[in-house]
Amino acid sequence: MEQLTLQIRNMAKEILKKGDAKVIIGWEKGNFWYVSTPAFIDKPEDAERLIWDEYCTNNLAKYLMGYKDLEGKVAIFVKGCDARGVNRLVQDKQINREKVLLIGLSCPGMKDEKKAQELGENAEIPLSKKCEECRYPDPVTFDLFIGEKKSQKKVKDSKDFSQVKEIEGMTPDEKYNKSAANYEKCLRCYACRNVCPACNCKDCIFDHSSKGWLGKANTVSDNMFFAMTRALHVAGRCIDCGECERVCPVNIPIMLMNNKMMQDINNLFGEYEAGLDPEDKLPLGSFEYSDPEEFM
Amino acid sequence: MSVNEVEQKWEPKILVFACNWCTYAGADLAGLGRLQYPPNARILRVPCSGRVNPQFIIKAFQRGVDGVLVAGCHPGDCHYTTGNYFTRRRFLLMRRLMEYMGMEPERLQNRWISGSEGPKVQQVITEITEEIRALGPNRKLRDDQWNN
Repeated sequence: MEQLTLQIRNMAKEILKKGDAKVIIGWEKGNFWYVSTPAFIDKPEDAERLIWDEYCTNNLAKYLMGYKDLEGKVAIFVKGCDARGVNRLVQDKQINREKVLLIGLSCPGMKDEKKAQELGENAEIPLSKKCEECRYPDPVTFDLFIGEKKSQKKVKDSKDFSQVKEIEGMTPDEKYNKSAANYEKCLRCYACRNVCPACNCKDCIFDHSSKGWLGKANTVSDNMFFAMTRALHVAGRCIDCGECERVCPVNIPIMLMNNKMMQDINNLFGEYEAGLDPEDKLPLGSFEYSDPEEFM
Repeated sequence: MSVNEVEQKWEPKILVFACNWCTYAGADLAGLGRLQYPPNARILRVPCSGRVNPQFIIKAFQRGVDGVLVAGCHPGDCHYTTGNYFTRRRFLLMRRLMEYMGMEPERLQNRWISGSEGPKVQQVITEITEEIRALGPNRKLRDDQWNN
């Protein structure tokens, strides 16, 4: 990976010198050895800060939203999930694909920063939860590529929905107690929303407490209102990057709900994976006359 | 007043989202025909069943409704041509999500009722009221500040 880091720095320098892009979004080393944070580089000499290691977990796609009105291009380094995030934003007409320069990197799977913190530098650090399930370690779209195109990571053929199935088998009361216990912890910090490439509304209903949809008090009822509304808003658009769960300060298994939505969309409206093709129609933004009929 | 007494007095509250063009007209027809249905249903008229945002339903449960019925035109009959097809997709998912979060599936129902189906309005509302009466009051998702 050191080799790739050098290549990344050289490429970034070149791009900025030539003026192919005004800003480059990548990763730099954070304050700890187990943290790599997003970096925003606009001068060629700053390109030395860029790195590529096992902790470049952040999905950078959402940061493109901040450069929507920039004149000129933005270059961004993309792993598999970042590329799907960019597709997501392009599909939602949030950004213009012409205005971004994607530099692909094949992702070996990132390591879990929370576990790394506990185990220490010398221990064997397990893969991050979001990377274990990943099925697209290679970017699905890119303009330039650094390194080998094929990831060494083994990829599953289909998504594993066993956790969803487990909950579906419970009685209604058990389900409710489980979800209430999860969302009792929720602080409604909206970190999950802020990091999500599918949550790209300019105006989010949760920012308007005066409208009365959601009070300021923190109650299980309101937290679940938030959770369910968000799950439905991102249904069919969630790219399964698992960032929401990673950034959650109280470790709520948010992806359990998103996975449920994915599974049901696959079952009801046909197989669909978000973020693969920006030209696709969204499952909830389209319909078929032959959709299943349950409402007689 | 003892707790048991309150239980006896409990009547299910049912919120019906009725599409202006079909279900509302159907309910009107039921009224004209003097077809009796339980007074537990509160009918709320919406321009199209596609107007019913899932948030409306979660909010209704938060504020003390025991059951919700979303009703609109039959597929193909929508006044706006395709509104109810979107409704169908949305509520296929929404119902499953509610169930997944622990709501009893009977509490959120959808029906297609056209403007000429007065008897169906009577029948559906009677059925749903009975189902929900059997389930008892809804405590799930309820916001405690609206505890009543």
